[in-house]
Amino acid sequence: MTAAKRMLRSIPSWQVTLAVALLTLGFLIATQLQTEAPRARYTSNERIPLVETAHELQTQQDGLKQHLLDLRQQIQTIESQGQGSAVLSRDLDGQVRQARIEAGLTALQGQGLVLQLRDSGKPMSPGDNPTDYAISARDVRTVVEQLWLAGAEAVAVNNERVTVSTAIIDIGGSVLVNAAYLSPPYQVSAIGPADLFDQLNRSAGFQDFVRARVEAFGIQVGFAELKDVTIPAFAGVINLRYARPDAIGSSPAP
Amino acid sequence: MRTTRNQLSLAVVAAILGLLVIVQLRTQSTGSGLETLSAPELTVLVANLNTRNDQLRAEIATTDQELRALQGAKARGETSVEQVRLDLARVRAWTGLDPVTGSGVRVTISGPIAASGVQDLLNELRNVGAEALSVADIRVVPGTVVAGPPGSLSVENRALTDPFQIAAIGSSATLTGSLLRASGIVAQLAATFPQVQLTVIPVDVLRLPATTRNLLPAHGTPRL
Repeated sequence: MTAAKRMLRSIPSWQVTLAVALLTLGFLIATQLQTEAPRARYTSNERIPLVETAHELQTQQDGLKQHLLDLRQQIQTIESQGQGSAVLSRDLDGQVRQARIEAGLTALQGQGLVLQLRDSGKPMSPGDNPTDYAISARDVRTVVEQLWLAGAEAVAVNNERVTVSTAIIDIGGSVLVNAAYLSPPYQVSAIGPADLFDQLNRSAGFQDFVRARVEAFGIQVGFAELKDVTIPAFAGVINLRYARPDAIGSSPAP
Repeated sequence: MRTTRNQLSLAVVAAILGLLVIVQLRTQSTGSGLETLSAPELTVLVANLNTRNDQLRAEIATTDQELRALQGAKARGETSVEQVRLDLARVRAWTGLDPVTGSGVRVTISGPIAASGVQDLLNELRNVGAEALSVADIRVVPGTVVAGPPGSLSVENRALTDPFQIAAIGSSATLTGSLLRASGIVAQLAATFPQVQLTVIPVDVLRLPATTRNLLPAHGTPRL
């Protein structure tokens, strides 16, 4: 012990400083490389106005969604104060409330599961396709589908509610849900029965996904079983132009 | 002399360290993910966001009109029952709780397609504006998933026969054009599943049934 202390004291302080600095340097280089893989990064000047426009449009979209949710909330409040026959109004209000819950137009809270999908941290072998190491829309769709099959009753991806009209698509190496641009990592939240994760883990479809994406390419899947998960209300378009409820008719809206 | 060399080494390491810290911090602060998109991909993204925002503005205008009508009726002490009924019909039709009728396309699939192929097709139909979908006369709603190995697919615990049909209500021209374009979903599926045949037919009047699935949550509580 005393010998070790003596040896340490004999090392000049500048060498210790250099060693610490080099260690930090190594760590930062590793972090930087990790941050960059496996998605390509573009830095051309022509992209700058496009990136700014995309940011601006996404901000506008967030504002429009909030406005739409506020309007729907006001409508719900007025409808619940119904005019005319009290019994008829109460009955109708109950039906509308129920339909909105079934449609995903009302936020839902309950026990559930959050899965986090991240790009692979594995080094790529020469000749490999980099896209295999990144999360794709297909990966997100697969997880959503497997959650439904495992018994989930409400699902959202990075707070975008998955509804009857939700498409999950790729643009380049990134994912759009309900036409909203989502940045990785992708968090798929679900409300469901207490054994939702067990059901998911046991399903052949999820096991196939783990084999094909996690084991083969190192896609990172984390999970947390939570007592309290909130799935937000859908803030999108529900107007129908071509589909008509049978009782109303079948001509398209203007 | 030795001290100068040591100080120089330290200065170089410190400079590189500083540079890397700045690069790392900048990478993290601009981590919106947009840096991974090329200029053509950003153009597609901007077009998508524009379309979506226009749709949201139209939806806001309609919803605002609905709100004003309700407020007007309330102020006049009139009944708003009819307005509420229309709202209910719209929400139920959109969700799949009621049958709907309209123009669209019918896609017939024969051969050993994988469940993921059918799901990809449904996803693409939603992406290009389908307002209501059914698989083998079973309405597609949240939670409806086509599953099983090729040749033994099922949906909502019902086996799919070969061939089976997918019906989609929407603009026939848009749906047909999007599905059948070069390198569109039909071409992609034909390449992935060469033994599978897909035909797309525009239809003037399709009738899609209501879902039989219970969509009321049993575990979640609505936050009203």
